[in-house]
Amino acid sequence: MSAATNSSRQQTEAAEAFAGWLHDLGEAASPAGTGVDAESAQGWLAAERQQAAERLRAQAVPTGKSESWRYTGLRSLIDQGFIQVDEPLSALTPEDIEEVLVPGLDAHRAVLVNGRYSASLSELGTLPRGVRVGSLSQMLESDPDALQGVLTRLAGEGSHLFAALNTAAMQDGLVLLLERGALLERPIEIIHLSVGMEEPRVAQPRHLISLGDGAQAQVIERYISLGDALYCTNSVLEIALGRDARLTHARLQQESPNAFHITSLYLSQDANSHYAGVNIGLGGIWARTDLVTRFSGEHAECDLQGLYLAGDKQLIDYHMDVRHGLPNCSSRERFKGILYGKGRAVFDGLVYVARDAQKTDAAMSNRNLILSENAEVDTKPQLEIYADDVKCSHGTTVGQIEPEALFYLRSRGISASLARRMLCLGFAGEIIDALDSEALRDYVTEQVGDRLERAPLD
Amino acid sequence: MLSVKGLKANVGDKEILRGLDLEVAPGEIHAIMGPNGSGKSTFAHVLSGREGYEVTAGSAKLDGTDLFELEPEERARLGLFLAFQYPVELPGVNNMYFLKAALNAIRKSRGEDEFDAVSFMRLMKEKLKVLHLDDSLLKRPVNFGFSGGEKKRNEIFQMAMLEPKLAILDETDSGLDIDALRIVADGVNALRSPERSMIVVTHYQRLLDYIEPDYVHVLAKGQIIRSGGKELALELEEKGYGWIVDGEAA
Ligand SMILES: Nc1ncnc2c1ncn2[C@@H]1O[C@H](COP(=O)(O)OP(=O)(O)O)[C@@H](O)[C@H]1O
Ligand SMILES: [Mg+2]
Repeated sequence: MSAATNSSRQQTEAAEAFAGWLHDLGEAASPAGTGVDAESAQGWLAAERQQAAERLRAQAVPTGKSESWRYTGLRSLIDQGFIQVDEPLSALTPEDIEEVLVPGLDAHRAVLVNGRYSASLSELGTLPRGVRVGSLSQMLESDPDALQGVLTRLAGEGSHLFAALNTAAMQDGLVLLLERGALLERPIEIIHLSVGMEEPRVAQPRHLISLGDGAQAQVIERYISLGDALYCTNSVLEIALGRDARLTHARLQQESPNAFHITSLYLSQDANSHYAGVNIGLGGIWARTDLVTRFSGEHAECDLQGLYLAGDKQLIDYHMDVRHGLPNCSSRERFKGILYGKGRAVFDGLVYVARDAQKTDAAMSNRNLILSENAEVDTKPQLEIYADDVKCSHGTTVGQIEPEALFYLRSRGISASLARRMLCLGFAGEIIDALDSEALRDYVTEQVGDRLERAPLD
Repeated sequence: MLSVKGLKANVGDKEILRGLDLEVAPGEIHAIMGPNGSGKSTFAHVLSGREGYEVTAGSAKLDGTDLFELEPEERARLGLFLAFQYPVELPGVNNMYFLKAALNAIRKSRGEDEFDAVSFMRLMKEKLKVLHLDDSLLKRPVNFGFSGGEKKRNEIFQMAMLEPKLAILDETDSGLDIDALRIVADGVNALRSPERSMIVVTHYQRLLDYIEPDYVHVLAKGQIIRSGGKELALELEEKGYGWIVDGEAA
């Protein structure tokens, strides 16, 4: 048999395995099998789930040939045979989560354990007027009308596979609703805590963040594990910003070294709104994040920044899809990566500027520091521009630590390993500095430093 | 203090240092002068352990320890300091954090305690003042966005903080105006002591008006071809290098 046939047979097998896995998960997610709407049976949600399940069935299963999964194989994910988390885990006490907190961070805290909101671990405190925070499953029971037409609006039709899977199977998540003009002064921290189970499980939290006109909030979203558990998170966020709304959004992916992580973030921005997201990707063995932005009004600004570290056996993948369909909006994508050991990263950013989107200002950059011969990054920034009066740029670099810089530090008595770490942190600092809480900056600096300290940097 | 014998070094296939001898006793200041490209920076780099040079013959000992056996950081901990001709910019690396890391690494190797935050701060401010540098420099990334003069003063500031046994100043005067030169020279002179030696590499005699050397050497084509007292510098100023270099070649 020729190599080509062999590999196409392998791809077919992989596709079948994936389809089977999705099918099983989809079955488990049938309305009767989930907690969300079995009792209250909102028709609209059942219909959305149904459609998502159909999209899953209809969608071609990605193979190595499909562009958006080209560098990120799904085989290792499928092979784990993840099954849906069924029961909420209630055994944890507040002491159990102390070790995963950010020292000195003052925030309204919402905690999800294996994808389910935990009222006993959360400390929401007093919320200002016009702000609602709570569990998705509870809100679907108590006030489903508030969610109709909002939930699944951004991540419905046309969303990718894992988002569809999430829609079909979602059980819980966090809802954050700010009325027009509401102001959340303290940040809200959403902690996704994962605890290993006997069998490898997939949790599929679903979050909805909606800021009315002129509302402002700061969200810190963290994915973290107790121990080295093997599990999968398939998370979806839908974020809608009204006119003049402002959201800063720090995202820290610090999953266990055995975890699989998928996030699909769908962002919609109305006129004059401002979104600033900082994505820090440190954990997991296989992590894929899709950031999808659309503008529904002019003069909106979207700032997507990120820092990723991938070491031994880790794969970290960021995909961006920023679509300028209206004039006068600006977007910036700035991602930096540090790769060591056999770490691999993928950066795939698409900025699309439609013919009518004049005066678009878009800048995309991806810079990578590669510390070992075996580390690798596939970087693919793309600009697709159909308007003629725009300011767009993109650039990527893949480099190593500069020998002169290393020598300079060593000539001052600093060991080679500390010198390398200092230079890596210096490189990362630009992104860490974009986090708007000092406690968080210190925490991330320490987390990055710790990982670099353990990394074989020579 | 420093004893260099028959030192030869290559960059790639090219021999740059071609049998260099130099003895520096404690407390002495030696000036090394020479035309551009004669190997002055190469000599400084080879002593401090920069990569990319191959030592093919000879030895260099600091207080009896073979420098070529040591990593660059070990040489620094032994008391060797190089003020770079071209200080390196380190974006994102905070100057104060950098100095603290350096000082603590050196102190630790000497079996001394790490500085506490308060005395470290006090020491830094004191030394900054000597070099007419602003405290805000500490918050900035190392050399990043510094003016040429600030970079050079920052080198001497680091030297003042690290208190080396042997300092090599590689063209610390180049690119400085007369006021900056005086400040740098004051900083250097403040560090003179019977235990500390310095090698001042310069292209011009001008610096030696402010930092008075005990000996002056002329380096040409990878060798020291003439040594003398400080009057040799004046002679060089007057006649240029040609007469010695050509005389040697003849
Ligand atoms: N990294 C290098 N690669 C190639 N040639 C070099 C390198 N460093 C120095 N040289 C060469 O070695 C010679 C001496 O240079 P250098 O030591 O910088 O001289 P100086 O400091 O006296 O001006 C010059 O001919 C220079 O071109
Ligand atoms: Mg030189």
